[in-house]
Amino acid sequence: MAKPTTIRISEDLLNEINEMVQELKLDRSAYLREVLRKGFSLDKQDRLLLKYVRKELSQMQVCQELNWPPWEFLTQLKSRNLHLNVELEDWLDAAELPL
Amino acid sequence: MAWIVADSSALILLAKCSLLEIVCDLFDVIVPKAVSIEVASEDLVKNYPDAALISELTSKGAIKVQSLGSDRPSAPLSLHKGEEEALLLAIKLDGALLATDDGKAIKAARFFNVPFIVTPKIVVELFRLQKISFKKARKSIEKLGKIGRYSPEIIADALISLMEKEDGKANNHKDI
Repeated sequence: MAKPTTIRISEDLLNEINEMVQELKLDRSAYLREVLRKGFSLDKQDRLLLKYVRKELSQMQVCQELNWPPWEFLTQLKSRNLHLNVELEDWLDAAELPL
Repeated sequence: MAWIVADSSALILLAKCSLLEIVCDLFDVIVPKAVSIEVASEDLVKNYPDAALISELTSKGAIKVQSLGSDRPSAPLSLHKGEEEALLLAIKLDGALLATDDGKAIKAARFFNVPFIVTPKIVVELFRLQKISFKKARKSIEKLGKIGRYSPEIIADALISLMEKEDGKANNHKDI
């Protein structure tokens, strides 16, 4: 069941939201819930990927937190123009193949 | 044959470069159970061709799934289950090489003094060992930049390394 919460937002933003809700004939509460859900999801992704870039999380830890298959991880890095958290030093220090 | 313990990140990038099969032919590729689940579960096999390939190679025994057993050591580090088990398996199989493309897993490997290898290095090494052509190696490195999201500086350095090895081979042939 949905629980109530209270936040303070600027008058300008509130007016903008009200105008849009009226124009599109939306239910304001439902609209705000949807915006919050979408925004939260994106923000969570951004923050976890930032932790990945800082090596605070591994690739699969991010995937688990966001319920992504590992392939989605690469797609999301691309869409944000991010790279793997492997550094030049790691590449230079990598071992040779033992043949 | 030498052992390579791979985690999910390395298996996926090797599959993307179409090099997983050749690596399995040349080495004993071992993965812990958790990695196998992460990249080749039934759902993933249906949706991702790379997962289907990994599953097929596992069924054929080209990728061996090994459990850590009851004497599983504890790891004082925070990784996902598959990455952690891959690292512990590499420690357990003394002399095994850990293949990973994850910075945090590499950090952990350094801490435990486990030799590690990243996919661009595997590509350059396969070329050095004359297991793949220069063209194939270059294409794979470029894929690792575009699809694999390796940083431009690593890709540039890998390409330089590849070209240096190509030049070395050409010069050797001239000497002969």
